[in-house]
Amino acid sequence: MRWISSILSRYRRNVHFVSFLLLSSLLIFDAAGQNQYISQVALSIFHSPFAALKHSYLELTAVAAEKFQLRQSLVEASLRLTELDEVRLENGRLRQMLGFDPPPDYRLLPARVLSVSRERVAIEATINRGINDSVFVNQCLVNREGLIGRIVSVTPDYATVQLLTHSMNRVAVRVASSREMGIARYVPGDGLMVDNFPVQGRVSQGDLILSSGLGGVYPPGLVVGSVASVIRPEEEAFCEIRLYPAANFSSLEELFVLIPDAR
Amino acid sequence: MRIAPYILYLFLIAMHEVIWRDVTSIYGVSINFTAFVVVAVAIYKSEMIALWFGFLAGLMMAAGLPHSFGLHAVILTIIGLSAYHVRRLLNLDSIYAKLLLMLAGILVHNVLRVLVDQADGFIYLLWSSVLPGAVYTAAMTWFFFALKEGLITYKKLRAIF
Repeated sequence: MRWISSILSRYRRNVHFVSFLLLSSLLIFDAAGQNQYISQVALSIFHSPFAALKHSYLELTAVAAEKFQLRQSLVEASLRLTELDEVRLENGRLRQMLGFDPPPDYRLLPARVLSVSRERVAIEATINRGINDSVFVNQCLVNREGLIGRIVSVTPDYATVQLLTHSMNRVAVRVASSREMGIARYVPGDGLMVDNFPVQGRVSQGDLILSSGLGGVYPPGLVVGSVASVIRPEEEAFCEIRLYPAANFSSLEELFVLIPDAR
Repeated sequence: MRIAPYILYLFLIAMHEVIWRDVTSIYGVSINFTAFVVVAVAIYKSEMIALWFGFLAGLMMAAGLPHSFGLHAVILTIIGLSAYHVRRLLNLDSIYAKLLLMLAGILVHNVLRVLVDQADGFIYLLWSSVLPGAVYTAAMTWFFFALKEGLITYKKLRAIF
């Protein structure tokens, strides 16, 4: 054995080269069919950890990109949903309006509120109808709830509406049940009131108040509001009647202009 | 002989083959990290280390090609041994001499690798990837030698900024 180790140490370099040549020949010619196995061992020990790392990284990148895309879609869908909700509400309002009949000798011209000017409450509104749509000053506006106001100025494409809540607006009204008359006007701080209603007149809380048609601006029979309270002061000629307006002036959207029929 | 560093080098070669090759390639021209490590080991280590490390690096680099990884192992072994003998016979104190040796080794390896793996379109590959790849790798190698020879140090970098 000693002579073998002495030969190995003396010819160490040559032994290495011979080993290398033998191994190389085996691998090049795949004499023992071992290349596949060696390849698999090398791949599983050295390459596979990095391959797994790379795969995980690529997967994470793809997931991040997908997340970004999904988040964008979610925002778009939310916006679309809000839009659809708005359309659904509008659809509901328009459906309710379909059953709304104008007073005799009038036709309805739909209009959309573009802007509302307000102090404490809304007092004026601008609509998308004007002279080009046969809209003129003093024509009145209604919605499905009741009387809204009258046109006070008009341009070819737009018109300004003085709402019932404007302190300068007056409407000749009557109590629907008793047919007794008064003048409705908005008093800032007090709300919608009926003036010139005699104390002996028949009116009570909850009575419906309609336009009387006197004065020539507002056609008769339009709902102005309902009686909220009646105060009959002693030694006074007229009552204090407070009304609940029929229309909600804080949510004006679609209105109708009452156009007198040409016939 | 400690074998841990060489196993680490083999892992680095595998990592480069799997991850960094694609990341660092520019228009299909990639760094030949395997040849760089083999020549670097041959320049700084002994003949036997150059022989066996070249052989194992060749197996590692071409592990996915069992029909030809014997040839790749032989090619890298010959390049490692040649680099070792050139280093032994010539004066390689200069960083540029080392770079020249590195460039030659990488160029030879690129040429032989193309010849072994894809004989078709050799001339096209020579101009489009073999030569640019060798120059690209040699350029990256400069940083290695500059760091190793103390041309670039943390102190110097800090002095700049």
